[in-house]
Amino acid sequence: MAKRDPFSEYHPLVCFLFFLTVILMGTVVRHPAYVLAGCVASGWYYGLLKGRGLLTMLLRLLPLLLLVSLLNPLFNPRGEHVLLRIFGRAFTWESLCFGFVTAGSFAQTILWFGCYNTVLTGDKFTSLFGNLIPALSLLLVMVLRMMGEQTRKLKQILHARSGIGKGITEQNSRREKLLHGMTALSALTDRALEGSIVTGNSMKARGYGCGRRTNFHSRRLRVGEWLCLLLFLFLLALTLCLGGMEAEFEPVIRTDPLGLGFLAYCGLLGVPIVLRIKESILWHILKYGI
Amino acid sequence: MAHIEIRNLTFTYPGKETPSLQGIDLCIEAGEFVLLCGHSGSGKTSLLRHLKPVLCPHGKTEGSVRLNGRELSEIDGRTQASAVGFVMQDPDDQIVTDKVWHELAFGLESLGTEQKTMRLRVAEMASYFGIQGWFHRNVSELSGGQKQLLNLASVMAMQPEILILDEPTSQLDPIAAADFLNTVKKINRDLGTTVLITEHRLEEVYPYADRVVVMEKGKLLANGSPRQVGQLLYERHEELFSALPTPARVFYAVGERGQCPLTVREGRSWLTERFPQQPLPHREPKPRESKLSSEMALRLRDVWFRYEKDSPDILRQVELEVPQGCLYAIVGGNGTGKSTLLKTLCGICKAYRGKIELLGKPLKKYSSRELFRGCVTLLPQDPKSLFAKKTVREELEEMDGAPEQWQAMAKLCRIDGLTQQHPYDLSGGEQQRVALAKVLLTEPRILLLDEPTKGLDGAFKITFAGILRELCQKGLTIVMVSHDVEFCAEYGDLVGMFFDGQLLTTAEPRQFFGHNSFYTTAANRMSRCLFDKAVTVSDVTELYERNRKELGS
Repeated sequence: MAKRDPFSEYHPLVCFLFFLTVILMGTVVRHPAYVLAGCVASGWYYGLLKGRGLLTMLLRLLPLLLLVSLLNPLFNPRGEHVLLRIFGRAFTWESLCFGFVTAGSFAQTILWFGCYNTVLTGDKFTSLFGNLIPALSLLLVMVLRMMGEQTRKLKQILHARSGIGKGITEQNSRREKLLHGMTALSALTDRALEGSIVTGNSMKARGYGCGRRTNFHSRRLRVGEWLCLLLFLFLLALTLCLGGMEAEFEPVIRTDPLGLGFLAYCGLLGVPIVLRIKESILWHILKYGI
Repeated sequence: MAHIEIRNLTFTYPGKETPSLQGIDLCIEAGEFVLLCGHSGSGKTSLLRHLKPVLCPHGKTEGSVRLNGRELSEIDGRTQASAVGFVMQDPDDQIVTDKVWHELAFGLESLGTEQKTMRLRVAEMASYFGIQGWFHRNVSELSGGQKQLLNLASVMAMQPEILILDEPTSQLDPIAAADFLNTVKKINRDLGTTVLITEHRLEEVYPYADRVVVMEKGKLLANGSPRQVGQLLYERHEELFSALPTPARVFYAVGERGQCPLTVREGRSWLTERFPQQPLPHREPKPRESKLSSEMALRLRDVWFRYEKDSPDILRQVELEVPQGCLYAIVGGNGTGKSTLLKTLCGICKAYRGKIELLGKPLKKYSSRELFRGCVTLLPQDPKSLFAKKTVREELEEMDGAPEQWQAMAKLCRIDGLTQQHPYDLSGGEQQRVALAKVLLTEPRILLLDEPTKGLDGAFKITFAGILRELCQKGLTIVMVSHDVEFCAEYGDLVGMFFDGQLLTTAEPRQFFGHNSFYTTAANRMSRCLFDKAVTVSDVTELYERNRKELGS
């Protein structure tokens, strides 16, 4: 059983803003220190949320990251320090560094998205936009549900068809496999269309389209959440105003010196982690207090 | 003033000559529990849908439907949506959103209910239906019974005056179905909501209904109290009589007239009244001729299965022997692994330990081609998952046999009149038979059936059993997984109980059900005070008559 995560229970607006900011910053900023901080923070939070899932994630990411960082110098020969030559093309230190940074920002984006999926579940996302764009948010919920449902149905169809010797695993020739796969898919489409009529009827029967929709889950921000949101916006403003995020890789590596802005950025990234630590300390105190 | 008043309602589908509903006159009082029955295709669904204008089928409608004295089509959409609640057959497709709480709130959201009211109503419904425990769950994690209960709850959250249910339990197992129907009864009793329900599983609802309305070919055939209608159905020799509760069937079968018993309790007191002196001269029914072959078509030794490496075992040390040419029925609760057992038998799920032998040859030695051609085949729980074509004919032709072959099969499964139809346009019973025909075209010697009687009405069940009998006589071995205790008792040669990943006992149906006190047929529960091992209507009837004769003379 996963531990409770205080940030996940925050108002979806706070969570959404957080992820929007860190993912945007993570993809735009190329400063190595910032990228490293992003990687550490996203990995840490991912680990807090998923426990051992972090290890499998890192193992999966690693080959991809190596590929990204090593491929960049192969295509981009610019840079002062030539490490070696491959087929007459320069393989430079600067280009390799840029590859690492790209891989780093790639990694943190994936990790942040992983966290995002756990924290901002479909229903929270829709409750966030429910009041602004009700039709769209409902559509999203329905799509989310449909995807899971169709996978389940496809599996059912494939099993049913292997029971009459028309599954895809039993076939000998590739042509037959393809043919039977296609038949299964077309059967799935038929079923989905048939099902959507029922869903539509069920929606109409419960007054869908009668007028303006309201939303079940529109909760207000609590005081603590307001504070967290303000602190977060303050740190963001600080990071953006103080700057120091520039980095150049060609022809030589030149990065802005680290300053207060970087500290503010680290603080911003650490919001969910700090909340988690605060919570566990608080519980310890409470436990010993009793 | 009647709550619902239907006057001379006639409805014709576009392009059809004969109307689907003909001059229906029906009044329903507030708070009544009305059961609507009839064969599939008798116009039940069309009638129900006329009470909910947004779901009303396209076509030509004449006559009037009034709700509280007002013409239904003149009432605005919002009032209609909340006043008339409608629950359909399919538990899955009716659900719109992905979370339980959201589904409960969906109707209220659509009506633009203010948040405070909405929260209270949803909380109220969740508590009433006992949903608190799974309020935050994903819909996909729920069982079929829970899903249907959720559908009911989300309709009830809108506080309807009338609740319409169109075969709501046809996709559920008997325990979930009984649970669902009890909730409907509770709603009717506690809240006074008018209920109009169609069902083919009459054993449960029939005694409870205030009124039973029978439809045939778009007309009202009968309209009265359950006992009156029971008598009428018997007197007119209607096919629908076979769907009545067991006590009523026994009552009329032994030649009694008048007010019939409907529940097991009533049936029992009627029997004890008839036979005051005990013990009776004949307590056991005449033995059935059993002609079980000594040759085994199917043999399982110490079979284990689980879905994933770390997941719990679904099958644990299963041992099974099925003689050739017999109908072997496996009964047991939900989620005990019965369906998985069938999939393991034919290699769709691979057992990780143990031996499976089909027709004397190990399963592993079969190539998948010879296995599913002429050896074994599986009819899945949902016949729709086998359909992939535009017409029934193409569906059968897909099995690449000669034309004579599929035509003969269509005749055997009694679907030769339906070959031009789209499989999705057929009723549940017809779909089941098309799927059966399709499966049989692989010319199997062992046929595996997963819940074949789910969604079949009483008359179809008899047809279906007839087909199975015919196949068994041709030497086919049938292994059937079913919740339908009555069906297994009537037609099974051997019955086995599956529980907790294991096959517990195997016995001949009378032996098996005669010794159970809870997991047994209504006929047995009703007659056990007088007779031993009488498990079907015909057993009880036969014993009754033999004893009467002996005591009378």
